[in-house]
Amino acid sequence: MTPTTRPQITMNYVLLIVVSAIAVYPLVGVLFASFYPSGPGTSPSGFGLPPSLEWRNYLTAWEQGGFADSFTTSVIVAAVMVPASVILSILGGYAFATMRFPGSKAIFYLFILGLIIPTEATIVPLYYDVQALGLIDTYWALIILEVSGEVAFGIFWMRAAFLSAPPSLLEAARIDGASSWGALWGIMVPFAKPAILTLTVLVFADSWNEFFLALVFTINHPTAPAGLASFSGRFTTDIALVSAGAVIVALPIVIVFIIFQREFMRGMLTGAVKG
Amino acid sequence: MDAEPAVASRAVAVGSRRKPKAERLPGEARRIGYLYVAPAFILYAAFNLFPLGQGINLSFYDWDGITPGTWVGLDNYVEFFTEPAIREGYAHVLQLMVFYSFLPIVLGLFLAALLSRIRIRGLTFFRVLLFLPLVITDVVTSVAWIWIYDVDGPLATAMDAVGLGALVPSAGWLGDFNTALPAVGVFGLWGQFGFCLILFLAGVMKIPASLYEAARVDGANAVREFFAVTLPGLRYELQVVLVLTVIGTLGTFDEIYVMTGGGPGTSTSVPAYQIWSRLFRTGEVGSAAALGLVLMLIVFAVTFAINRLMERGAER
Amino acid sequence: MAQVVYDHVVKTFSEVTALHDLSLEISDREFVVLVGPSGSGKTTALRLLAGLETLTGGSIRIGERTVDRVAPRDRDIAMVFQDYALYPQKTVYQNLAFGLRMRKMPKNEIDLRVLRAAEMLDIGPLLQRRPGALSGGQRQRVALGRALVREPQVFLMDEPLSNLDAQLRVQTRSEIKHLQEQVGTTTVYVTHDQVEAMTMGDRVAVMSEGRLEQVGDPRTIYDEPANVFVAGFIGSPAMGFWTMRTERTPGALGLIADGTALEVAIDPGVPELPSEVVVGVRPEHALIWRENAGLVGPVEGRVSYVEMLGRETFIGIETAGEAHITVRAEPDVAVRPGERVPFGFEPGRLHLFDPTTERSIARL
Repeated sequence: MTPTTRPQITMNYVLLIVVSAIAVYPLVGVLFASFYPSGPGTSPSGFGLPPSLEWRNYLTAWEQGGFADSFTTSVIVAAVMVPASVILSILGGYAFATMRFPGSKAIFYLFILGLIIPTEATIVPLYYDVQALGLIDTYWALIILEVSGEVAFGIFWMRAAFLSAPPSLLEAARIDGASSWGALWGIMVPFAKPAILTLTVLVFADSWNEFFLALVFTINHPTAPAGLASFSGRFTTDIALVSAGAVIVALPIVIVFIIFQREFMRGMLTGAVKG
Repeated sequence: MDAEPAVASRAVAVGSRRKPKAERLPGEARRIGYLYVAPAFILYAAFNLFPLGQGINLSFYDWDGITPGTWVGLDNYVEFFTEPAIREGYAHVLQLMVFYSFLPIVLGLFLAALLSRIRIRGLTFFRVLLFLPLVITDVVTSVAWIWIYDVDGPLATAMDAVGLGALVPSAGWLGDFNTALPAVGVFGLWGQFGFCLILFLAGVMKIPASLYEAARVDGANAVREFFAVTLPGLRYELQVVLVLTVIGTLGTFDEIYVMTGGGPGTSTSVPAYQIWSRLFRTGEVGSAAALGLVLMLIVFAVTFAINRLMERGAER
Repeated sequence: MAQVVYDHVVKTFSEVTALHDLSLEISDREFVVLVGPSGSGKTTALRLLAGLETLTGGSIRIGERTVDRVAPRDRDIAMVFQDYALYPQKTVYQNLAFGLRMRKMPKNEIDLRVLRAAEMLDIGPLLQRRPGALSGGQRQRVALGRALVREPQVFLMDEPLSNLDAQLRVQTRSEIKHLQEQVGTTTVYVTHDQVEAMTMGDRVAVMSEGRLEQVGDPRTIYDEPANVFVAGFIGSPAMGFWTMRTERTPGALGLIADGTALEVAIDPGVPELPSEVVVGVRPEHALIWRENAGLVGPVEGRVSYVEMLGRETFIGIETAGEAHITVRAEPDVAVRPGERVPFGFEPGRLHLFDPTTERSIARL
């Protein structure tokens, strides 16, 4: 780092503060807007504090937006999808990292392919497949599709994590008499705990934020984002109310983000670079 | 990789009949690898790979989703050359790329270079703030920006305050034919910028200080430093960000659905939205399938091209 | 009866042959050291014994069993790794117990063994700690302990001391040897450090480029090296080599090189020598010239370096023909680089090697 002058340093911090403020402004604005009196025509201008704290908006939004249901859906889907994705990724990543079997390279490249296949390419046939299986508008549709979408990245991630272990660790376990299963859960998983936590957090975020799939495959039982989208569509002129709905949907992921910020950063930065 | 090469001389191996493959470890059950990979692979193949094949098949039909479809061969693909709407969608995405990819990268690079010269305290705090736009569900952030672009929203109010009130579109920025797409673009810029900045900052921290010192000793000023040290040092991050943002833009859907529904008119239509629309609104399933596959091919091609370009540049 | 036998073992990796044809028998309770530079194949030999690599050819026996296709866990061996490979998330106790738990040993038996090993290695107070909270030396003991509790037929050790600082190394060296004598388990020990090999091994197997150069007890290896490599590798400072022409006369052998003519007494019974030989001399047998000391010489050379070690001084000398001989001298010798110094060899301490095969021919 160059030794720099005081004004330069201050300028830099000012810059940082400005861009951070820009990043946060819309979100803070929505937060404030949600406390404004509800109803058309009382659109908050966005620069002042709300005149009053209309907590009622949240209650109304919760009921009118059917968020009790959509939250339940999101939670159930995530609760099944996250462990499933992570476990399958651990199993697959372990195999690719530590075992040699014919065709492993080919199969791994097939998974890598999945990292760039966009959902749009498969969504059309998938819709009819799911329909044929009678799974439209069920939790299972979302769970299965999200898991099958996440394992490509998850396996890539866990393989890298397991590869970073010193080979002697696994060798010692083998000499000690551990089977591949025993070595995985007894030695490798504890070793890769940070990576697994990061993966879990990322997968959860993906599931909670998933919109496109939810839109396509759920009608009467939307997830939280899908519920918000239709809520917003119904109450376009009531900014305060819709804002309340937005805050409700954003809250869980923001909380998770703040608690696990280190994992998020690690995941999004290194994951991107490795990709 | 499948056929291990037969390896060198073998003397007498006590007690063995078959020639063991050289790479197999003693006592290792080779097949077990398959078992571990199977669950993930079965799911993945069934719901990611298999539908690809189905999609290809579907794309040769004209089908409304309910009544039996008719075979039309490559007609759905010919549409690319005949239907302006499809080209329009891609044209829009290209324009969006300026906001979603080009601008965030340039601004991110610039700011990262500026900020790299000092040690930043409380970097974590800023990183959290800058990442928030990406972490929060984009339906939520779209709603936020709907409010910002509203005729009575903060942007309009601010412009009014500085006397530019006349420039505010009467239906809000999202309701105006000319401003809707750029408006979505700015939304994207806002979202992607933080990520780019943080990624480049992290990358810049990895550039050894000695390179900068050497450049300075050679008499380079800040600008030369940037092009001679910073930019090459960020080559890898640049490649990654380029690929991610470009691919991401190609698949833009959520914000279009929530903010504009492809409108007004078709001024913000994008390929992903068109696919969805043809699937659920207009009953052109075969066409939707074809569009999806073409989008995928374009994604492949672009990824390949970017990687090739960046690697070529690296060799120079 | 835990004998280890390498029977014409061959190992190749793609294009590279790591082991050409290794045959070695290790007796029960023996401590054998495989020593050599990197690439010599010593680690490969160890890993083959462990079952961490597959044989390309040949066979390995532990006890009465051929273990070629047997998995590591079933070979009844225990291994100490160079980086210790301790399980980071487990306590020392759990690290020691892991292998025993895998074998479904009853809890109280596990307890017994772990405590006994902890006592032997003096790591009792560390049992509840994690590897991250231990010093390098402590970790090394835990690694040893993990092998001890298994009470296997063979101990395998892969350069266990190389990550320790010099002082600790010397101390631990003797501890390991002592431990092995106490426990009596056959041990195969790999190192690149010839001092470790000489001080610890009952027998030393010197390896180079995938071949076993010589195996024998330390004394033999040192005094009767079978070839140039062993002669130059074992012993520090290293033996000096000089290629000289031979001239046989009745009762004596003339060695001529670089304007020097040496005469050595030789038994007429010694067979025909090649016209050129490589002469090797250890530093302790090359001394500054003194008249009437019965030395072979004198030889003139220029001093290229002087190493004062306190107890003794080693002088590096270069002859006219650029042969490098190290000469041992008293600590107070007054010699400086660049000076010309005469020196001579103790009779009976010259090692003659064939210049082509590099094998030992005679010692004169």
